[in-house]
Amino acid sequence: MKEIMLYRGCTTPVRLPAYEAATIAVLGKLGVKVVEMDDANCCGAQYVESVSRMAFAAMSGRILALAEKESQDILALCGACSGSLKINKHFLDNDEKARKEVNELLSEEGLKYTGKTRVRHLLQVLNEDIGFEAIEKAIKKPYKGLKLAAHYGCHVTRPYEIVQVDDPENPTIIDRLIEIAGAEAVDYVGKTRCCGGPLLAMDESLATHIGQDKIRDAIAAGAQGMVTACVFCDIQLTQVQFGEDTDSSKMIPVIPIVQFLGPALGIKEDVLGIELNKTSPDIILSALQEAK
Amino acid sequence: MNNETHTPSSDFAKEIALIPGGEVINKCIQCGICTASCVVACVDDQYRPRRLIQKILIGKRDEVLKSDQPWLCMTCRMCEERCQEGVSPAEIFHAVRILAVKEGHIPKVFQITVEKVLCDGWMLADAYTDFNEDEREDLGLNPALAWNDTFTKKVKKKYLAGEESA
Repeated sequence: MKEIMLYRGCTTPVRLPAYEAATIAVLGKLGVKVVEMDDANCCGAQYVESVSRMAFAAMSGRILALAEKESQDILALCGACSGSLKINKHFLDNDEKARKEVNELLSEEGLKYTGKTRVRHLLQVLNEDIGFEAIEKAIKKPYKGLKLAAHYGCHVTRPYEIVQVDDPENPTIIDRLIEIAGAEAVDYVGKTRCCGGPLLAMDESLATHIGQDKIRDAIAAGAQGMVTACVFCDIQLTQVQFGEDTDSSKMIPVIPIVQFLGPALGIKEDVLGIELNKTSPDIILSALQEAK
Repeated sequence: MNNETHTPSSDFAKEIALIPGGEVINKCIQCGICTASCVVACVDDQYRPRRLIQKILIGKRDEVLKSDQPWLCMTCRMCEERCQEGVSPAEIFHAVRILAVKEGHIPKVFQITVEKVLCDGWMLADAYTDFNEDEREDLGLNPALAWNDTFTKKVKKKYLAGEESA
């Protein structure tokens, strides 16, 4: 069985552990064994990234070196983590001086960065390593009569030259997976726009406004739920629906791609942690058909 | 041809161009597709990435370095994807942030979070409670997250000694 090493990141294990559990269960079902990385550190996204280029490269570089030591590729579930690891891999692979400097720090604990480890976002593992055909074959209980909007996550898909996941202006992987599982993917205004999450630190009300616009646009296009591929986006698009001035009758479920695929693959809901979701997934789960 | 610049270039723009990522500033033709693509500009009528880049090009050094505006970019890179001149406002604003930090201008939330991450090794040490550990166990996940803070303390000492207290 193919193996991949999960870099959990800071947010997933604390704020959305069900995403981690569902990833392990779904990839396992599809023939990819997830092993977890221990002794890791934060990738440095956004904060350290904004204050020092080299500190940022060192933090991501160590994570890459930890996986390299085990001869594993890295699986990332968060746009910030996958983006940071890929950007720093690109930087270290192309800047010999920076690579040497990071390796000096790493050598104190017997680690070395050479660039062998690949960074794979979850969507790449589903699309490239497993493939749509194999996923389609594994669908046991397809959805029916369900319209869903895909939200990709900016740092998952951009900058394309470095991350190489999907078309940065017209991404289709999540849409294809929605349809493979039997539901209908709806297009909507601002599909590739940001969820607003990165602005939470500087201006929460603007960040919320951006996220609420996104939900509003998806609903206007007829979406009954939103499927995500980044922990930050998932949490942000969920919490913007719980504001003071929001209409709870217009709430739609926000669900990570693996929690959406899991039930259709015949994985039990408790394994996927779906009951822990803050937005009710009932409308999604009730669209599941009997085993085909 | 490739090195041709289209815009005025102040000493401040030259300074930004010397910081990795900042070099693209001299390719900007001020067309405004960045502002037109910007989700933050949609909800904040003060935030205009084109105007902010123009301020760098004409040398408003003090105003830009002391402003919160370079810190509002979400680095969603929608504008970068659309810019036909190969300019990345996200990279330019990162270069501005790095220079601003060196001169003691850093938003409080960034200062606190950098300090926390480098001290704990990760971002959410304070938020991780017994409740989270139980939740992870119920899901069949390892409750021991085993973060490493030795390395991040080393990184702090080497690259950020003193700066975050500015």
